Amino acid sequence: MSDYLARSAQYFPLLLEGVTLTIVVTLGSVFLSSILGLVWAIMAVSKSRILRGISRTFITIIRGIPIIVQLFYIYFVLPELGVNLTALQAGIIGLGLAYSAYQAENFRAGIEAIDKGQIEAAHSIGMTDGLIMRRVILPQAVRIVLPPFGNTIIMLLKDSSLVSTITVAELTRQGQLIASSTFDNMTVFTLVALMYLAMAVPLTFLTRHLEKRYATS
Amino acid sequence: MISVEDIRKSFGPLEVIKGVSFNVSQGEVVCIIGPSGSGKSTILRCINGLETYNSGAITFDGIKIDPGDKSIVNVRTQLSMVFQRFNLFPHRTALENVIEGPVQVKREKKADAMERGRELLDKVGLSGKLDAYPGSLSGGQQQRVAIARALAMRPKAILFDEPTSALDPELVGEVLSVMRDLANEGMTMVVVTHEMGFAREVADRVLFLESGVIMEEGSASELLRNPKHERTKDFLHRVINPLE
Ligand SMILES: Nc1ncnc2c1ncn2[C@@H]1O[C@H](COP(=O)(O)OP(=O)(O)OP(=O)(O)O)[C@@H](O)[C@H]1O
Ligand SMILES: [Mg+2]
Repeated sequence: MSDYLARSAQYFPLLLEGVTLTIVVTLGSVFLSSILGLVWAIMAVSKSRILRGISRTFITIIRGIPIIVQLFYIYFVLPELGVNLTALQAGIIGLGLAYSAYQAENFRAGIEAIDKGQIEAAHSIGMTDGLIMRRVILPQAVRIVLPPFGNTIIMLLKDSSLVSTITVAELTRQGQLIASSTFDNMTVFTLVALMYLAMAVPLTFLTRHLEKRYATS
Repeated sequence: MISVEDIRKSFGPLEVIKGVSFNVSQGEVVCIIGPSGSGKSTILRCINGLETYNSGAITFDGIKIDPGDKSIVNVRTQLSMVFQRFNLFPHRTALENVIEGPVQVKREKKADAMERGRELLDKVGLSGKLDAYPGSLSGGQQQRVAIARALAMRPKAILFDEPTSALDPELVGEVLSVMRDLANEGMTMVVVTHEMGFAREVADRVLFLESGVIMEEGSASELLRNPKHERTKDFLHRVINPLE
């Protein structure tokens, strides 16, 4: 047992480096997917047929391709077209794009849940579409969107392990590297799993809290 | 001030407004009555540019109403609307609802808008509810906030679409009395209503609309006491004696 702990202590610093990158990838792709998701959602509810069409087409394509294939495409294919990205950039952009499609659905549901009467009332006092989005729709949509948003962050945290396949040295990749050089699979992957849990569990509690808080209002 | 000239409007194959014309001059109160589905709301919504119309013309103070054009924003700041279901912003307090238009659309200073917002809420009898959210107000109170919100734009005219139809009977009076005060102050109003008492007392003119056409129009006393058209008689009889 003490042997086990000693080896754990030895792997710990390397794995923590992985944790840092995991957090960077997660936060980066949460940010990117939220911005893009909001753009798709606003396009999806816009009056323009063209914008709605673009949004729908993009979401359909993204949802139809495995995330790992999207990552390969961005990291291995784009350089052939002259676009060179670091593994970290490619990972964040890939996950961000992939998740923007899911975020868009969530945001759209939130936007569409706002009663049409309020929007007409806003028009009737001369508010423009942009002002209505900012002052009437989004502040209310946030309450509807937040609990599922928490779940999305948890899923992104776990799916950030996918970028290990394009050489980003995040937690899963660090684990693989240590395990393949020490053959100590049991210790390494137990630690890796515990570290993911340590990040995911607080987020789970936060999400439950948000669900309770906004379910009542 | 408001001129509606031979407008027609279809939803798909269904023509719901079949050539309606009328004028509303400054300071006039016009009530529109008629059975459900006759097109009353649609006409008001066309005047406010919330709905497009297929042919004819609507002008407000000489400006053509065109929902697709930027000029509609300017029209709406001068022509307010009050809805059957109040349509307040639930995430904002009574006072915030009232100042939203002046501050965000007309770019008035917030302090000035708040000052005037308080006066308006006081005027509609809600000085104690400035910070209340719509969810905690009764229907009658919400509708009075909505009227204050409409007034805050300093409109030249207000359109009311069945402002008391969603209210419990005991709350109808408080809203109608606010509207009567407005009429007495000379506000130009177009009111879709089933409240014949209000129409008789406040309206200068009453239009009876059925199946998308104005069947009969006249002064309130004339049309409500001595309707000429069979359909008007029928309708008034049914409104006054709903059980027969
Ligand atoms: N957005 C819409 N799409 C299709 N049909 C509509 C739409 N809005 C209204 N209609 C139809 O147009 C007709 C007139 O509707 P409108 O709401 O103007 O009637 P109303 O006189 O206001 O009735 P009520 O007294 O019930 O409010 C109705 O037959 C209605 O079903
Ligand atoms: Mg109606």
